[in-house]
Amino acid sequence: MSPERDQIDFDVLFVGGGPANLAGAIHLMQLAAEKNLELEVALIEKGKKIGAHALSGAVFNPRALEELMPDYLDKGFPSEKKVRGDRLYYLTKNGYHALPWSPPAMHNEGFHTVSLARLTRWLADIAESLGVSIFPGFAGKEVLFAKDGKTVVGVRTGDKGLDREGKPKKKFEPGIDLMANVTIFGEGPRGSLVGEIDRKLGIFPKDMPQVFETAIKEVIQLPEDNFFSTSEFNDIHTMGYPLGINTPGGGFIYEMDQNRVALGFITGLSYEDPMLDTYDEFMKFKTHPLVAGIIKEGKVVEQGARTIASGGYYSLPELAVDGALFAGGCASIQDLPSLKGIHVSMKSGMLAAEAAIKATGEKDFTRESLDHYTELFKKSWVNGELYKGRNFAQALARKGLSKLIHLGAQTVTQGRGIFDPMAHHGEDHTAMNVLNGTHRAKAVDRITYDGELYVDKLTGVYLSKTLHREDQPCHLVIHDPAVCVTECYEKYGNPCVRFCPGNVYEMEMEAETGKPRLKLNPSNCLHCKTCEIKDPFQNILWTCPEGGDGPNYAVL
Amino acid sequence: MEIIVLMKQVPATESFIEIAQDGRSIKTEDLNWVINPYDELALEEAIRIKETHGGSVTAVTIGQAMAQDAIRTAMAMGVDKGLLIDDPKALGADSLGTAKILAATLGTMEYDLILAGQRAVDDDSYVVGPAVAQYLDIPCITLVTKQTLSDGKIQCERTIDGGTEFVEAALPALLTTQRGLNEPRYTSLPGIMKAKKKKIDTQSLADLGIPSPAGAVSETIAMELPVTKRAGKILEGDTPEAKADLLVKALQDANFI
Ligand SMILES: Cc1cc2nc3c(=O)[nH]c(=O)nc-3n(C[C@H](O)[C@H](O)[C@H](O)COP(=O)(O)OP(=O)(O)OC[C@H]3O[C@@H](n4cnc5c(N)ncnc54)[C@H](O)[C@@H]3O)c2cc1C
Ligand SMILES: Cc1cc2nc3c(=O)[nH]c(=O)nc-3n(C[C@H](O)[C@H](O)[C@H](O)COP(=O)(O)OP(=O)(O)OC[C@H]3O[C@@H](n4cnc5c(N)ncnc54)[C@H](O)[C@@H]3O)c2cc1C
Repeated sequence: MSPERDQIDFDVLFVGGGPANLAGAIHLMQLAAEKNLELEVALIEKGKKIGAHALSGAVFNPRALEELMPDYLDKGFPSEKKVRGDRLYYLTKNGYHALPWSPPAMHNEGFHTVSLARLTRWLADIAESLGVSIFPGFAGKEVLFAKDGKTVVGVRTGDKGLDREGKPKKKFEPGIDLMANVTIFGEGPRGSLVGEIDRKLGIFPKDMPQVFETAIKEVIQLPEDNFFSTSEFNDIHTMGYPLGINTPGGGFIYEMDQNRVALGFITGLSYEDPMLDTYDEFMKFKTHPLVAGIIKEGKVVEQGARTIASGGYYSLPELAVDGALFAGGCASIQDLPSLKGIHVSMKSGMLAAEAAIKATGEKDFTRESLDHYTELFKKSWVNGELYKGRNFAQALARKGLSKLIHLGAQTVTQGRGIFDPMAHHGEDHTAMNVLNGTHRAKAVDRITYDGELYVDKLTGVYLSKTLHREDQPCHLVIHDPAVCVTECYEKYGNPCVRFCPGNVYEMEMEAETGKPRLKLNPSNCLHCKTCEIKDPFQNILWTCPEGGDGPNYAVL
Repeated sequence: MEIIVLMKQVPATESFIEIAQDGRSIKTEDLNWVINPYDELALEEAIRIKETHGGSVTAVTIGQAMAQDAIRTAMAMGVDKGLLIDDPKALGADSLGTAKILAATLGTMEYDLILAGQRAVDDDSYVVGPAVAQYLDIPCITLVTKQTLSDGKIQCERTIDGGTEFVEAALPALLTTQRGLNEPRYTSLPGIMKAKKKKIDTQSLADLGIPSPAGAVSETIAMELPVTKRAGKILEGDTPEAKADLLVKALQDANFI
């Protein structure tokens, strides 16, 4: 028996309140106003507020925003700092070299640093003032299909007030069916509803996998007199230690306003060592003498984690299906060589809006009609940027010298390189080696967690302000819990306890039997989705918990 | 039945509070603002009373423009009308000044019942509700966990140390809320849509014809954060019993027991 559900009709529904969809919603309203169209437009976001789940670097390339709102600088654009100059360092365990040359794509002088949480709030206010109905605190839980089984007709929001067994509690509030002629998905990397659509309609390419990176990020308050008071550069990237030359990833440090700094470490999920702990890698980076010097006397203000879709051009899905479009990170749209996704996500949202307007004018919401988005995309500069980086992630995932040779070749051939298309390493979950007794060095050999500048994983969870109502069905679906304590325990030593940056997964030894037992702390979840991606048995399905739950980021 | 709920917007409890430059207020940027949880209980109870006895519910708040969000949320729950008193002079008032302004405002409105939170979780002064009742010269029942209405009277249950007290008063009366009174509902998406279309009445003190409060009779001179917790200690033990023993020993060592 399914409870009575309300149904609300919209012309266009945006699922997810990230930069892709917010730019899309603003552009849609601009176009509707030009054409004198009265549209009912809604946007849902699973975070309690817009920006509550927004986590990025970020150095912001304004290209898309300039097109969307040429006068953005006069409209309260939330800039943190202007980039004065950049540095790329190669780190060794205790030392570093400033590289004399960095790829042109990484030159950021003149760009602004931003907090994505603030940027999305600002965009949401503008969208709302143009007439978009924004509903934070509502998660899209299920895709609604027409009887034909292939036309997306809307999204069902999650029920609220279920108990752990999934039974309605006293204040149960059933999810409702949001129906729309066009649904635009902007769920960010590894979208859960986009995943559902892919399982049904197969939108992602078969021959090129979706691959990802996981980042842990902090904002740190520095004293007034700090590294950036005198430094000529305020945009710093690192490579090398701790991941070494084989695993893709690296660190970033960006100056923010009010003596704050954004600091993060990215680990490519193609890593092989089952003992690798994403949080430890972050800590190794953070305690490196170069980094420790920059952030000394600081205090962590906020921490969080999120994945990045790093498949690039050849991993792009079909951008349109009947009734729906895909924008931003959930469609693998990311400019990899420049380490940026916000501007290309925004632009893709804007192009999706154009297609939605055209389809509305023609009252044709079939895939053929909505494929106008794909055409616009192919003609746009986003496609050009992505095409240039089409083999970048593949090269980065290569080991040792081969990596440098491929990257070098791509730099001088506009991205073509030696093989084009170059194959990916395969899906991230296939990359893990079985345990072989070598243990990765921990960061903790040189730090003590002082609770201020260096915080342990659980304090980090606290600093993400993540909250979930405890008494709700577990939002992490473990298909076969038996695998965890048998095969996974033996072969990989339960890597979930190490790749999850939120301590959601714990293995306990049962006192009586001496056997391992999986303990889940779903209320710690940071919504990064690393578990679903990296689990070697593909035994974990990440679904949206109750709307409004999750991190409460203010400045990440 | 005309019901008025006194409501305050406060920083969400998961916020990290920092003290502002002036040393006597808090930094407000980057905070998430929510309805004071005790006022949510008041709103829920008011809406339930309306649902059984008919009438209407009005939420009244003193706040800045952003307090409109709180009123909208209240409306999404089922409140009919909202009044925002937005005036720098009102915001500068202390608890008694706030109560005076609210009482003067309510004096010009119709009401059978007024509901307030027992305290606002930001300033924690426990003053406003009872003081409004005092200024309006109506009965006040504090820390209510249950109420029933009949024949122009309200019967309330209050939890007292070791028991329950039953109190009755004639309407109009003012109640303050206690945890356990109810479980506030979720705001539904259709509710939010309806609330977006409703008008919020925003007034200054002059609009309301209320004289600005004479100088505050109390003043915050300084604020201090609690001393940061020292590093905790996790007691390791194989069984709950062993852990409890260790805990007892630790507490004894610290002369707590
Ligand atoms: C550590 C890090 C550093 C980065 N640095 C940079 C940088 O310097 N410059 C740059 O340009 N880019 C950077 N990026 C990339 C950039 O942040 C992303 O490309 C961009 O945020 C993608 O935007 P989006 O709108 O597609 O998705 P997101 O920003 O992920 O937003 C998606 C939103 O949808 C919501 N959502 C998801 N599913 C649902 C659902 N089912 N129902 C309701 N809501 C849902 C989410 O809560 C989220 O708010 C960085 C990313 C990371 C993680
Ligand atoms: C945000 C948050 C996240 C949490 N996440 C986890 C988690 O992931 N995993 C997990 O195991 N627990 C977690 N906890 C703790 C857990 O919810 C409770 O502390 C635990 O279940 C205690 O329940 P109880 O019934 O024994 O004690 P209660 O009857 O609920 O507590 C009574 C009192 O006993 C004392 N007390 C209880 N437990 C402890 C303790 N462990 N140490 C010292 N004093 C104690 C406290 O004074 C408490 O007020 C979390 C708590 C919070 C607030």
